[in-house]
Amino acid sequence: MLKALEGVQTQCVARQDKGTTGHVWSVFLAPGQVVKAAGKLYEAEYSLEDIFALDFEEGFLVLYHFNRWLVDERVVLRVLVPKNNPVVPSIAGIFQGAEWHERETRDFHGVRFEGNPNLVPLLMPVETADLFPLVKSDKVRASIKTLLNLGEVVSCTKAIEELFAEAEAGEASEA
Amino acid sequence: MSAYQNSEQMKGDFYTQKFEAGKRDGTLILNMGPQHPSTHGVLRIVVELDGEYVVRAEPVLGYLHRMHEKMGETQTWGGFIPNMGRVDYGHPMAWNWAYCGAVEKLMGIEVPERAELLRVIMTELNRLTSHLLWWGAYILDLGAFTPIMYAFDDREMLLDILQRPTASRLTYSNFRVGGLQMDVDDKCIEMIKAFIPHFRKRLPMYKDLVTDNLILRRRIEDIGIIDQDMCRRYGCTGPVLRGAGVAYDVRRAEPYSVYDRFDFEIPTQTSACSAGRYLVRVAEMEQSMRIIEQAIEMLPSAQGGYIVDKAPKPAMKPPVGEAYFCVEGGRGKVGVYVVSDGSKTPYRVKLRAPGFSNLSAFAEAATGTLIADAVAILGSLDLIIPEIDR
Repeated sequence: MLKALEGVQTQCVARQDKGTTGHVWSVFLAPGQVVKAAGKLYEAEYSLEDIFALDFEEGFLVLYHFNRWLVDERVVLRVLVPKNNPVVPSIAGIFQGAEWHERETRDFHGVRFEGNPNLVPLLMPVETADLFPLVKSDKVRASIKTLLNLGEVVSCTKAIEELFAEAEAGEASEA
Repeated sequence: MSAYQNSEQMKGDFYTQKFEAGKRDGTLILNMGPQHPSTHGVLRIVVELDGEYVVRAEPVLGYLHRMHEKMGETQTWGGFIPNMGRVDYGHPMAWNWAYCGAVEKLMGIEVPERAELLRVIMTELNRLTSHLLWWGAYILDLGAFTPIMYAFDDREMLLDILQRPTASRLTYSNFRVGGLQMDVDDKCIEMIKAFIPHFRKRLPMYKDLVTDNLILRRRIEDIGIIDQDMCRRYGCTGPVLRGAGVAYDVRRAEPYSVYDRFDFEIPTQTSACSAGRYLVRVAEMEQSMRIIEQAIEMLPSAQGGYIVDKAPKPAMKPPVGEAYFCVEGGRGKVGVYVVSDGSKTPYRVKLRAPGFSNLSAFAEAATGTLIADAVAILGSLDLIIPEIDR
């Protein structure tokens, strides 16, 4: 079990195969829990690797990669936000390096990070700041369950199970 | 129209105007770059100066932004490899490796031993060219012209070596999913064997000429402190982190390929200043040579060829899934995250550039220093702007 995140309300915690995905833990969170989770990871000596988003039919999936220097145990936090109001609280107060990653994610996908001290375009020019180049067209956009694998589930809420329902109908009932 | 617009009534562009909003009385706002020589072409830093002291600094990025991640979503899996040669002109092979490694992870391809050893040899040679480029350019930033001539003299020999198996001298894209584009010839191995003793003789000269130089020491010692906690908060890796006393190297921490077979040290410094980062890089050059020597010795008995049998074609279709793979580049942890939807083009390619995280710590490190020291700090981060802007 992932000790570092004890006390954080998770939507789904799963172990992933490191050999094929590069992740050890995959954790789904509600947007409101991100800051608390980042704080816990900071206390557990995790360092921030990157923040970015994926465009899915269900919404934008914002991913945070964390890893430690001494023990290699990569954690990926996943936050699903709706397309019509993609807002996540900023973790730049804990990991200052997040400021740039969050600005980049805003540039590419239009996900807004509330509380970011300087949420202005970073890589895109200000004139075309709202172009959001990585937002996909309906034609190529896929759903989460067709592309991602939940992994070996430790604990999971109904909402996330349903997201992956078709793809893992067999495994979900066991968990 | 965008919400981020210039005000016509005020001087300067959007970023200057926004930066000026927090200005104190009696200070001066100065734009360093994007044409300033020490910002290496296309980085811009807006600084607020009180006399010669930096009160605030804000890097402005994007001048070299090419949207590699979007290009990744429009090309075939194999067709994206040349982009990896252009993300970071200093150490392109690390990027080649990170991308190919991620795709190999997705497809479950096991790379032959010979190909892995050749990858190690070439990537380490490329690391030497990267460090030599940094070394020459850093001393040039600090006002000494001659050392870059010595550095490029040696770097030229390395480029001649790498030209044989890659057919290029700067933007290498010779990695393929499953191995390499071509094998090395005997002449190339001979040239490497001749280069290493030559370069070992040159390193003491570099030390006498530059590293032990009192003027250089005074310019970089205790300047630009980036300690362990800062590294963690900003995600700094590579020589910046090792210069703060943490022996973190992806080649050791998350061993990939055949790196677990080699005997090499991870140089660290505890000073956490520009001099610490300088000394770490200089010491790393010797370690790279040790790895190359050991790999060359293992090469004749290695199994397999330079690429896996039945290597995938450029229009390959990796199975559905996600994969994250990272390697140690000249500047730190190079990470590539890919998602496949089972088609000929990636669904998403995310590039994690070490320089991006390292540079984000600059504003905090430079606050309170002299403007001339800010140049020394920037150079000590070993910035390659194309990888930061991507």
